[in-house]
Amino acid sequence: MTERDEIIAIANRLRWEVGGNFHDALMESLYKEAGEIARKTMRKKDGEFAFSLDRKIDKIVTNKWTGFPIMFILLALVFWITVQGANYPSELLSGLLVGDLYNFLRTSFISAGVPDWLTGLLVDGGYLAMAWVVSVMLPPMAIFFPLFTLLEDFGYLPRVAFNMDSLFRKVGAHGKQALTMSMGFGCNAAGVVATRIIDSPRERLIAIITNNFSLCNGRWPTQILIATIFIGGLVPAHLAGLVSAGAVVGIAILGIVFSLVTSWFLSKTILKGEASTFNLELPPYRPPRILQTLYTSFIDRTLIVLWRAVVFAFPAGLVIWAISNIQINNVSLADHFINFTDPFAMFVGLNGIILLAYIVAIPANEIVIPTILMLTVTHYGLQLSGVGVEAGVMFEAGSIDLTRQILEAGGWTVLTGINLMLFSLLHNPCSTTLYTIYKETGSWKWTVISALMPIAMGFTVTFLVTQLWMLF
Amino acid sequence: MNPLVSLILFGLGILFVMITFFPEKGLYYKWKRALLSTERVLIEDALKHLYDCEYRRVNCTLQSIAGNLNISSDKAAELVERLESLRLITSENGNLHLTKSGRSYALRVIRVHRIWEKYLADETSIPETDWHAQAEVMEHELTPAQVDELAARIGNPVVDPHGDPIPSEDGDLPGKEGEILTNLSENDFAVITHIEDEPETVYAQIVALGLHPGMQIHVLENSPARMVFEADGDEKILAPVIASNITVKRISRTEEIRKDFKTLSSLKPGEKAEVIKISNALRGLQRRRLMDLGVVPGAEISAEMENPFGDLTAYRVKDTVIALRKNQTDHIYIKNIERLKNE
Amino acid sequence: MNKVTANCENCPVHNAGNLIKLGIDMSDYDYVIALAGNPNTGKSTVFNALTGLHQHTGNWPGKTVTRAEGGFEFNGHKYKLVDLPGTYSLLSISTDEEVARNFILFGQPDVTVIVVDATRLERNLNLVLQVFEITDRVVICLNLMDEAERNGIEIDVRTLTKELGVPVVPCVAREKKGIPELLQSIDDVATGKYKCKPRRIKKRDKKLQEAIKVLKFKLNKVFPDLPNSEWVALRLLEGDAEIIRAVKSGEIGKILQPDLTSMKNEFTTAEN
Repeated sequence: MTERDEIIAIANRLRWEVGGNFHDALMESLYKEAGEIARKTMRKKDGEFAFSLDRKIDKIVTNKWTGFPIMFILLALVFWITVQGANYPSELLSGLLVGDLYNFLRTSFISAGVPDWLTGLLVDGGYLAMAWVVSVMLPPMAIFFPLFTLLEDFGYLPRVAFNMDSLFRKVGAHGKQALTMSMGFGCNAAGVVATRIIDSPRERLIAIITNNFSLCNGRWPTQILIATIFIGGLVPAHLAGLVSAGAVVGIAILGIVFSLVTSWFLSKTILKGEASTFNLELPPYRPPRILQTLYTSFIDRTLIVLWRAVVFAFPAGLVIWAISNIQINNVSLADHFINFTDPFAMFVGLNGIILLAYIVAIPANEIVIPTILMLTVTHYGLQLSGVGVEAGVMFEAGSIDLTRQILEAGGWTVLTGINLMLFSLLHNPCSTTLYTIYKETGSWKWTVISALMPIAMGFTVTFLVTQLWMLF
Repeated sequence: MNPLVSLILFGLGILFVMITFFPEKGLYYKWKRALLSTERVLIEDALKHLYDCEYRRVNCTLQSIAGNLNISSDKAAELVERLESLRLITSENGNLHLTKSGRSYALRVIRVHRIWEKYLADETSIPETDWHAQAEVMEHELTPAQVDELAARIGNPVVDPHGDPIPSEDGDLPGKEGEILTNLSENDFAVITHIEDEPETVYAQIVALGLHPGMQIHVLENSPARMVFEADGDEKILAPVIASNITVKRISRTEEIRKDFKTLSSLKPGEKAEVIKISNALRGLQRRRLMDLGVVPGAEISAEMENPFGDLTAYRVKDTVIALRKNQTDHIYIKNIERLKNE
Repeated sequence: MNKVTANCENCPVHNAGNLIKLGIDMSDYDYVIALAGNPNTGKSTVFNALTGLHQHTGNWPGKTVTRAEGGFEFNGHKYKLVDLPGTYSLLSISTDEEVARNFILFGQPDVTVIVVDATRLERNLNLVLQVFEITDRVVICLNLMDEAERNGIEIDVRTLTKELGVPVVPCVAREKKGIPELLQSIDDVATGKYKCKPRRIKKRDKKLQEAIKVLKFKLNKVFPDLPNSEWVALRLLEGDAEIIRAVKSGEIGKILQPDLTSMKNEFTTAEN
């Protein structure tokens, strides 16, 4: 035995003598010393006015009667400002990127003598997908997250976790999951990153895996469009707006329900054994520095969106263009896939086009609808007045009526609409989110579970809805 | 296809998956468990049983092995023969004894078992009634190198969560200390040092009462019919058969006896108190985090507010406000409760 | 060789080999500064104030998880600043704490700046005392002084400096108050102008004290240059896997000594 090994052996023997409460004793001695120093050097002025303002604010925001209304009003305000504020810049960006710049790029590529297939692949495919993601994603992200960050800097968010913990405790989760879920409504990838605030391993994994059930802002437009066409169409015109809005909110609430039920299920099964602890610090309130927060948060989010557009959406665009244009036996790859999967998709009340769109749109949910429209028109060879559709070029129909015509020509019914809304809620997270999950958990196992579980749930739910619908 | 048919097929599919993969009771798990009953398992379990007999100073026989391992006498005889040929045991007038190598083998298995229990207790949320069963499986699976690595990772523990000492790498194990709870008489004070985790049903009853090593016992009544005692201030009643599974150490000096057994969960907003102890029921990460946040014996703590549902309370400790759940505050003991000024 | 270290007051103490292993680019810097502190003490704000970078900060305990790095220049010295994860303690076994602990122990930063929340002095001192057990070269940044004042808390900085044995600089990092003084203190400690004599825990459990004494004796015999043998003894008693490994392999002796090979070169050139 070397002398070094001997040291270890001595330590092992001494550990018996010191006993099991070693860590406790150590911490106690540290705090005793810290207390002594603090007593000598720190003095609190009389009058007990320390933290009195904090106490007053806390009394209001955690009160039985005022706590929840304040919370709902603040969160609703954040969402309302996001939706209202994003409208105009979104249109502007879309006009600029998907309209003018796209046309400009196309004409310059053609005049520069670039071969047609390369122009198609790069401009119609890659660039267009990128432009789409930026115009849909950037404005809401750039508004939603700075607002959230302001609430965070002020110190309000931990109080939300404090209020909501009772609900989350019952499903085996942490109160802070209320916040990561709210962040998920903006962007699931950001929601997954936000789970870092949960310091208990089990509860953090639960929050990561279930974040996908928060309807992110890449999926809101899909929900709103389909609800307006298929759900709003069921009722008289003057009620249509209200009913379709109700349907979208209903899907979002369904998402929250799924999130809670799944949390409970996970905490009772595969995550039962993971270590669990609870602590929630309620920091003092601090006046937020509004301008700096807005600035840094805006820059951060913009960079993330641009990065995502380049890294994930661009390749997706290439693939979409390629599968629509590469042909085998005079039939495009896309059509082969659609013909092959159509019979299976019938069981879950969807169709092959939707399945294909969800596969190619794994990198970005924002391009699901443009892809579906393009595939529907090219697959059925529809002739539309005023719209020249080329294979592989995503587009958004100018009006809701036109969209309805295209979808109905593609065989869509109310059932297809409902199923699409459900499937849009319950399917795998986008690739940015999956990548983030892998980075945060460092584990393939949890990444794969996060991807497969929602798909399985999505198919199960749409299957049941379809079969029951046909039964009655 | 007819929707009714597909729905029925779907239901059957779900049923099949449930039957196969239902946790613990599913066919898959049963099959996996059946695979485990190999010769190695039998040998190791027999050695453990013999070691246990030695520790309790009773005689072990072929019959007791058959009974303990739940195998037929024929099979037990075969097993004993095999153990003898491996020179792990010797027999003497029907009484079986461990050889030196048999004993160190047994200690190695026990080491794995107890380290695994400690690991489950500190690093996972597996309920304590499941620890033993899981450790029974793992003790036959881990290699010595894996065990040492695990032990190092969880800080080379010396005591398992039931209060049993963990044999060292070299097979050292200190002798048994303390006495059986039923030995105490009225008005005696003692501290729980060990709770036997077999048989399972008895252990489950003890766990249900919330008893843990480290708790202070004050005996109120000890009669052949029942034992009544206070464990950290709470009155408990046990049948003597069950109480005999608990080992205690008497508190000799009166100044070591604690009288005050209020828990933090009883502290109302606007009151302050001093933390005196964190119960051993809070272990591992939970315990370390609490101490990191300043909840240590001697710390002053005051209750600030409750959340709207009244099941989460915020406490101020060392000028920081932290919220704790009731399942934590039930295990933190306090004394000297006072109302705060200005409230 | 020890004589050389003693003579070289201005030499950096950091272990360049280990720092590079820890992923730090050391090419252009004279000194390495580690930034430690409890979560939610404004650590990131101090980091930004020192480096001029814009790392997002938030009123959430435990915001920074990944390690941020930045650089600054002061008094003609180039400094590398490494922001460690915010931790309450260095004794529990969590990834953040291991990252912070390993950096201070194996990287041997020239100065460790601990950001302390002036409104929660006692809890923050817990971490300070733990860092003191690992390294001598510490500067305390007593942040959030404005908040403390608002809440009627007065801190006697001079007594605190005396009690702790290291420089204590009161700051309001959000308004960049106290940052010049902080820079000066960092420079003083890095260049060896200021000699830190950090306070060590004296009162401990008797059994524990006895065990530490035995181990310390043995450790000092095998690794005579180990500056913090008491801390190593404590970690061995607690069964810290990383430290056990470092003792077994003998690495602990090398870590805590200045780089021997480069020292030898200097020594020979000096002779020539």
